[in-house]
Amino acid sequence: MQILINIIINSALFILISYSFSIIYYSTRFFNMTHATVFTCSAYFAYLFLVQLSFPIYLSVLLGIVCAAIVGILCEVVIYRPLQKRGASSMILMIASLGLYIVLQNVISVAWGDDTKSIRSGDIKAGYEILGAYITKTQIVTVAICLFIIVVCIFFMRHSRIGRNIRAIATNQELSNIIGIDSNKIILLAFCIGSVLIAISGLLVAFDRDMIPTMGFKWLLYGIVSMIIGGVGSTWGLVGGAFLLATAQHVGAYFIGSQWMDAIAYIILILFLIVRPLGFSGKLLKKTEI
Amino acid sequence: MEYILHLLILVGIYVMLSQSLNLAAGFGGLISMAHAGFYGIGAYTAALLATNFQLSFLVILPIAMLASGILALIVSTIALRTVDDYFIICTLGIQVVVFSLMNNWMSLTNGPMGIEGIPAVRLLGFDIESKWAFLLLTVSFVALVFFILKKLTDSSFGLTLRALSEDEIFTQSLGKNVYLSKIIAFTLSAMFAAIPGVLYAQYISYIDPTSFTIDESIFILTIVIIGGMRSLWGSFVASFVLVLFPEILRFLGMSNSIAANMRQIIYGIVLILMMFKYSKGFEINKKTV
Repeated sequence: MQILINIIINSALFILISYSFSIIYYSTRFFNMTHATVFTCSAYFAYLFLVQLSFPIYLSVLLGIVCAAIVGILCEVVIYRPLQKRGASSMILMIASLGLYIVLQNVISVAWGDDTKSIRSGDIKAGYEILGAYITKTQIVTVAICLFIIVVCIFFMRHSRIGRNIRAIATNQELSNIIGIDSNKIILLAFCIGSVLIAISGLLVAFDRDMIPTMGFKWLLYGIVSMIIGGVGSTWGLVGGAFLLATAQHVGAYFIGSQWMDAIAYIILILFLIVRPLGFSGKLLKKTEI
Repeated sequence: MEYILHLLILVGIYVMLSQSLNLAAGFGGLISMAHAGFYGIGAYTAALLATNFQLSFLVILPIAMLASGILALIVSTIALRTVDDYFIICTLGIQVVVFSLMNNWMSLTNGPMGIEGIPAVRLLGFDIESKWAFLLLTVSFVALVFFILKKLTDSSFGLTLRALSEDEIFTQSLGKNVYLSKIIAFTLSAMFAAIPGVLYAQYISYIDPTSFTIDESIFILTIVIIGGMRSLWGSFVASFVLVLFPEILRFLGMSNSIAANMRQIIYGIVLILMMFKYSKGFEINKKTV
């Protein structure tokens, strides 16, 4: 039962992270590794406002999300857009984003120190008991928020003008430009939405566990893995991928120990590349293009 | 003086690392983020063999290279089904798995505590303990690796690699086995990465997993990119610059922990700037093939 609850919590987080990542990925077609820093930033900004400046909690959560989103948007405006203008390929952009990740992550380390920080208020409570398993209030909030946001976002992407424009850019950028969609503006909006979503998930993780400057990378990689195994380009595949990843991790953790969660995630990725290189929803994974 | 020798030895280790990565990333176009992982496998193999069985250096070296090579062979047959960014993600995955093995396999690697008391290099009955002797050993290995890589990349195999990194389909149409060449390049690159690993373990005599993280992989890649893809001399010079340059920070009186972060920040900024330079792709700086 405890495993089931953990699976639900983690898959909710994975869905949110990989969804936020995929919004940016679909509109720009490159792996934006700096996304991990936005995740960490939101947690650290919230820590700054809540603990160091002792603002009220709602205000500091809001400020944390806003500041992190600004970081994400600045990355696009200052680094990626000029690079794309110069005709950079997705691989070049990805390496640049890795460099940017290193820079920002170390800026966080310099500013706040490498040690573990915590924004959990009060002492650790055992949480509520449901059928012999424990779940804390933060975790219930996490699952609720994740599911709510995902439903809203899917709706937003399907039925609003901005959402449709983002999907149009994702499908065919040139054609969208021809019919009058400003791709720069839409990509910026995609970065905006993606950064806000990842900032929220960063905060949720920070409230549930402690934080260190390097935590974002691990979570982002989980998000990427669930996106790839779910099949790139499909929202339901992504949900399934996140659920499968969380399940495998927790079942694996139950049998061989929780320290192997990272390894399990990648072994699943590699297994998928052997058995079903297209992800289980069957959309195309980028292979050699002719 | 001791400190300068220490830095030179480190430079030598990074020269070997970046040149071996250059074989895969530069010549073969296989940007790998798992290089620190293979470096780590070399180091851990050496540490375990040297502390537990007191083997001599000349026995350890081939075993470490073989261990790293076998792993690279297995993972590359899988990872090379993908290209470009997906390949980078796969190698990132390999790096994380290797790191988590080092960090969590307590009974074998002693986890985050690392392995201490690794005996010094024993070569032909002599213990190489002084820094001078070790520097000499490092330099001779640098020369050896440089020579082999130079011969390899100038050979017809090297030409095949260059060709396939530019146009895979075309190379295939010339009857070259692209997939096999990539696997060979990746495996060889991992095997050469094990050599500095062995030297590092027996030089520092203490290793822990934090020396072999993703950041380290990115650093090695930075050296290769700054030195220039497909340029072995470039990697050589870039290792000198990038390893020695941050030492200036120490003279500016920064505390150790901040200096480490500043170093990373500088590397990151340099990497981004290089991406602006190479934004049209790495083939811009190609020499005549």
